Amino acid sequence: MNPFSKLLIKKQLLFLSLFVLFIVATIVFVHNNHFLYDRTIVKVLETEVVEKTEVIHPLDNIDHLYTQQLTAEIKNGEEKGKLIHLVNEFSTSKAYDHEFEVGDELFVDIDSTRADTGELQGTIKDVKRDKYLMYVAWVFVLVLLIVGRKQGLLSIVSLVINALLLSFALDVYLNNANWSLLMICSIAAVLFTVISLLLVNGFNEKTYAAIIATLLGTFASLFIVWVVLWATSEKGLRYEELQFITRPYHVVFLAGLFLGSLGAIMDVAITMSSSMFHMFEKNNNIPVKALIKSGMEIGKDIMGTMTNILFFVYVSGSIPILILYFKNGSPLGFALSMNLSLEMARALAGGIGIVLTIPIGLYVTIFFINRKRTRL
Amino acid sequence: MNALVVLAAILFILMGLIGRGKGIRSFLAIFFNFIVIFIAIIFMNDPNANPIIITLVACIFISVINLFYINEVNSTTKTAFISTLISTIVLLLFIFIIADRARIQGFGEEEIQELGMFSLHIGVDFVKIAVSVIIMSTIGAITDAAIAISSPMREIHYHNRDITRQDLFKSGLSIGRDILGTSTNTLFFAFFGSYLALLIWFKDLSYSAGEIINSKIFSAEMITILCAGIGVTLVIPITSWITAYFLVARK
Repeated sequence: MNPFSKLLIKKQLLFLSLFVLFIVATIVFVHNNHFLYDRTIVKVLETEVVEKTEVIHPLDNIDHLYTQQLTAEIKNGEEKGKLIHLVNEFSTSKAYDHEFEVGDELFVDIDSTRADTGELQGTIKDVKRDKYLMYVAWVFVLVLLIVGRKQGLLSIVSLVINALLLSFALDVYLNNANWSLLMICSIAAVLFTVISLLLVNGFNEKTYAAIIATLLGTFASLFIVWVVLWATSEKGLRYEELQFITRPYHVVFLAGLFLGSLGAIMDVAITMSSSMFHMFEKNNNIPVKALIKSGMEIGKDIMGTMTNILFFVYVSGSIPILILYFKNGSPLGFALSMNLSLEMARALAGGIGIVLTIPIGLYVTIFFINRKRTRL
Repeated sequence: MNALVVLAAILFILMGLIGRGKGIRSFLAIFFNFIVIFIAIIFMNDPNANPIIITLVACIFISVINLFYINEVNSTTKTAFISTLISTIVLLLFIFIIADRARIQGFGEEEIQELGMFSLHIGVDFVKIAVSVIIMSTIGAITDAAIAISSPMREIHYHNRDITRQDLFKSGLSIGRDILGTSTNTLFFAFFGSYLALLIWFKDLSYSAGEIINSKIFSAEMITILCAGIGVTLVIPITSWITAYFLVARK
């Protein structure tokens, strides 16, 4: 082994151990970051179920309600180190309550001291979830790096950049009341596309073709959706279901739809352009007709699965609320239209974008290939 | 006219024009998948049934539709099918531990006012439901990645019959790495799109960073995004290994 590669291995080892150290440090930090919070945090030391009652809903839903007494230690603030007594109620279904175990960390409000013993009492407000988020984030980063190596790293970078860009775009929207969200999203979409595709594929004609195809495909599908919504006066769409609305719901829905299909459209565009360029590079004299034929075959192969990806992402989120509706005796049609109409509209619009991008990607790529051919 | 019907009709026409027979099968597959999810939800209403088992059975049906119905039954789709199921089970174990500990099931306080008219004590275990939501969100992407890896691996094996299992596995990994960036991107943007309203809400009501990170809704959605990313990444080595095992073992 020559000294140079020895040095390289040493460097890699050093880098690796620093990385592991960094992971450990963040995990230790997230377990001990109580001082960062203004809200009182406690750690559960003892739990005891003191009462169990059966509740029967008029619709024959049987559930059990439990009352749990918790003893916990306060981890921050003026009362740090003191014990506190908490009462928690939970049900078997746990739709809006939690069963707590020893070691759980909770946000609480300190209410009063008990007159007889001088012990503190409080009310549970929420669960401290940051450490779990940290665990999952590290598993995600490690799995992507181990399996994907360089491409895994690029995916993580692209996720972070896109998330920051989205957050920034929303700040711009919220601070400039007269700017339209759709316009901001359009500008953001151009940036998202350029950044993501350049990161994944580098600076080359494949990427340029994919960027143009993505933008054309996205705007074409958005236009179609807009015309359909306008022509049908949005009949069948139940905006009541759109949650967390502080802004005009219509625009928020359209912007979400637009952003949601962007990734899938990028995927189709880059698959089309890179496979067609691959054929062209193997055989520089390949006739345009043959390229079109193979491109269409590739398009046929991907459109079903791509549309299904969007379908599952959108529809799955409604499973809990649909169960709640059904168990509360809502009529089937009402429950479905209330909870799925917007999700279905998003999935269908995404599907339209995906399918439109196949011919668009095909012809844009052929244009780039022909341009390259004339230069050869 | 109902906007959804018009959108569905446009999608059907486009898929038929561009994809012909396969396009129409792809369109019908969405419809069949919808029926599978719907039936799964009906079964989940039974408090005695285990939602995770129901999810696994639903995933089997969904994979059959996405792999065998849209494509056809052949060695590629068979290995993709096995890989999908194994990846789903691995992911399921991980998600179950996290969802249970992080207590992200059910509804957050931001959602609860709108649900005031409902009884929440319905006897169905929402922790398990939360696990099935995450698995179901990812299943489309997992089957997609599985077929996208096993299909070119079969081509490589076809053109190079003497390839060793080890080399075939390595080419599978390299194909997988090439699609990793775009599959994760597809998922991330789909989730960004559906969480847009929530993000605006958090910003509008000026939640502090600590409140956002620890809130049930935000952490549930972040965990979903990250688990979906883990899912489409894990399917790469699993599919490469299974495809290499079956193709080279058969010789």
